[in-house]
Amino acid sequence: MKEVLIIGSGISGLTCAVRCAGLGMHATLISPVSSERAQSVMAAGGINAVTAECEEGDSVACHIEDTLKGGGMIAGRNAVTGLCGHAEEIIHFLEGTGTVFTVDDNGRPVVRAFGGQSHKRTHYCGSSTGKQIVSALIMEARRFEGEGLIDRKLRMYFHSALIKDGECYGAILYDEKSRSLLPVFADAVVIASGGQNALFGKTTGTTLCDGYAAGKLFLQGAELKNLEFIQYHPTTLETAQKRMLISEAVRGEGGRLFYEDNGKRIYFMEDIYGPKGNLMTRDVVSREIDRIGKDVFLDISFLDKKLIDKKIPEVRDLCMKYRGIDISKEPIPVSPSVHFFMGGLAVHLNHETNIRNLYAAGECASMYHGANRLGGNSLLAAIYSGNTAADDISGRVKENGHPDFSRTLKEEQDSLNGLLSSKSSFSVMHIRDMLSDTMRKNMSIVRSGITLKEGMDDIDYYLSVADQIHFDSSESIYTNYSLPAILTLARAAVTCALSRHESRGSHYRSDYPETKDDLAYATLISYDNGAYTTRPDKEKIYEN
Amino acid sequence: MKIRILRQQEPDSQAYWEAFDYDGTTDISVAGLLDHLNYNDDIINDAGRKTTRIGWDCSCMQGMCGACAMVINETPALACETFLYNLKTREITIRPLRKFPVIHDLIVDRTLIQENLKITDVYIGKYNPKENEDHRHQYEAAKCLKCGLCLEVCPNYTNGESFYGAMYANDCYLVYARNKEKSADMKNTYSAHFGNSCSKSLSCVDICPMNIPSLASMAKLYRK
Repeated sequence: MKEVLIIGSGISGLTCAVRCAGLGMHATLISPVSSERAQSVMAAGGINAVTAECEEGDSVACHIEDTLKGGGMIAGRNAVTGLCGHAEEIIHFLEGTGTVFTVDDNGRPVVRAFGGQSHKRTHYCGSSTGKQIVSALIMEARRFEGEGLIDRKLRMYFHSALIKDGECYGAILYDEKSRSLLPVFADAVVIASGGQNALFGKTTGTTLCDGYAAGKLFLQGAELKNLEFIQYHPTTLETAQKRMLISEAVRGEGGRLFYEDNGKRIYFMEDIYGPKGNLMTRDVVSREIDRIGKDVFLDISFLDKKLIDKKIPEVRDLCMKYRGIDISKEPIPVSPSVHFFMGGLAVHLNHETNIRNLYAAGECASMYHGANRLGGNSLLAAIYSGNTAADDISGRVKENGHPDFSRTLKEEQDSLNGLLSSKSSFSVMHIRDMLSDTMRKNMSIVRSGITLKEGMDDIDYYLSVADQIHFDSSESIYTNYSLPAILTLARAAVTCALSRHESRGSHYRSDYPETKDDLAYATLISYDNGAYTTRPDKEKIYEN
Repeated sequence: MKIRILRQQEPDSQAYWEAFDYDGTTDISVAGLLDHLNYNDDIINDAGRKTTRIGWDCSCMQGMCGACAMVINETPALACETFLYNLKTREITIRPLRKFPVIHDLIVDRTLIQENLKITDVYIGKYNPKENEDHRHQYEAAKCLKCGLCLEVCPNYTNGESFYGAMYANDCYLVYARNKEKSADMKNTYSAHFGNSCSKSLSCVDICPMNIPSLASMAKLYRK
């Protein structure tokens, strides 16, 4: 039986595990915490698909064009065609797992409008779509756990991949229980570890998604792609503990953005872009809010209270609980915050990286969203990519045996032991905090060559001290050993941003404000012995 | 303000109380407070001595993941939605959930929750829903965080015993509603691991951070 090692147990990892088990393979699902704690549960607004419930005139072709256009025309058409073409099937799969979609009086799912869409096609579960999907998938995975086809391992962390001559044979994991490194061999490894939030400190998501796996695999030879494209969600709410996402569903249900000028409300998005201005893509709305530089509010108070209670109850509760705001009576103060990473591990159509038998799925993989992701496409991509990776692994001929990695293991263990005994004045969390300050300041909504170079200098300094940190025994060993790879990923992101001499999607350069037709390519970046090399993917090698 | 925390370095080591001084705003949650106490390079207790960082589980920081369930001033709650201004005391005590083995400080091992559901086959299998089943109720039941608060307050629940608590009843209900071929099995397993032993204190209903109508789940599974 084929053995698949899956790193991460959010929606993408869960989907991949369920699909692997359904295809008769054995999946081992690794995560530090249970699936209920995954960032996937925070996905609010919905999942895009053209189904029988959609408006007349909508089609898969429209979904494809909207996705490509929203992404600044650099996502691969073949990839996006596969994604959108399977969307209806994915909705039916989710219904079959018991996902509780919001339905009409006849029991059929209803759809809402999301930004950048030519037609309403976002299926949803109130405003907790991710949570409802996770609950259903956990139950589906449980069935296969009972049959012995899925094994869950909690309190385990990815350390590194076992790679030889461009082929992956498994991974080294850090087991928090035994406090030791553990080699796990597999026919394929699927990375489903989420986005790169920790580069920016607190974002709308969880800091458990830190980008370490992408950074480490980059150091081990995996190519990364489009790291300059970071989505700032335009509507987040400041609270004492973090910035919280105000779902795009609020604008989908008619919510209007405004600022006040001499006591008068200025509905700036409608003034600039017309009646559908509030539902422009997230990059456009965030940039307008940033440009205005005033306090901006999102108003949904005009909507019937019963509809607020039915369609966006979680938004209602969040605003009341954390800010005492009654959204049925008053507007919500909003501003942009880091929300999603379009970039990540470069993968082919089958979701395999440039390293054979090493796959990536979900937010850690860069594939469908180009320079800006449309709301409702991330849940779709998480599920589609998990399925695609599983299908491809299933179709491969099983190979037996693996090279001897005992020397690698010893070197890694010695390196970890060295870290445990290190002493210097630099603490790991201090450097992480400085990194997030740098990234927020220098990789913000508007960048320039000057600010990016300043950011690069800062990160180079952090990297120069990263291998001399004072081992902090009260932080987890994972937090300590993950630092250099996280810093490397941050440096790679700034390098990508510096290399793109134009503005496109979420990447806006004040020194290169125009979009240039001859730069309409994805950015690839590779690492070799300290050298970071970028190149445009002109041959579209990750489209085949 | 004095913050007293019941700490434990290892699963097998002795628990002990350690206190910290806090003079910041009360306009933050206990999760924000723990973040604040852990923020500095050196963590100093109320005796002025350097100590270790406080271990606690968190992920979403907004009441959606259930990681930060703990006992605050003797009341089980999610730290991220328990605000200091509501506690109204000059001293706050924080301890880990008592019904689960401690891993480190405020982090507990809740794997038994999933294990109990797994060994009793609480999954849908083939989707074959009952007609006219309550859609809204299913939506609410599927919000369960598996945080363990309902088990913490339950007078009948003991870790490792055959009574599995309110969250078990809700998952049984979801399978019961979604596959009518398994509805009889679900009623039986529900009775064996919940219905027959529940003393109806309903403390689980009051404590649930997602306000899940567990009583309605129980009622449906009791129905002939």
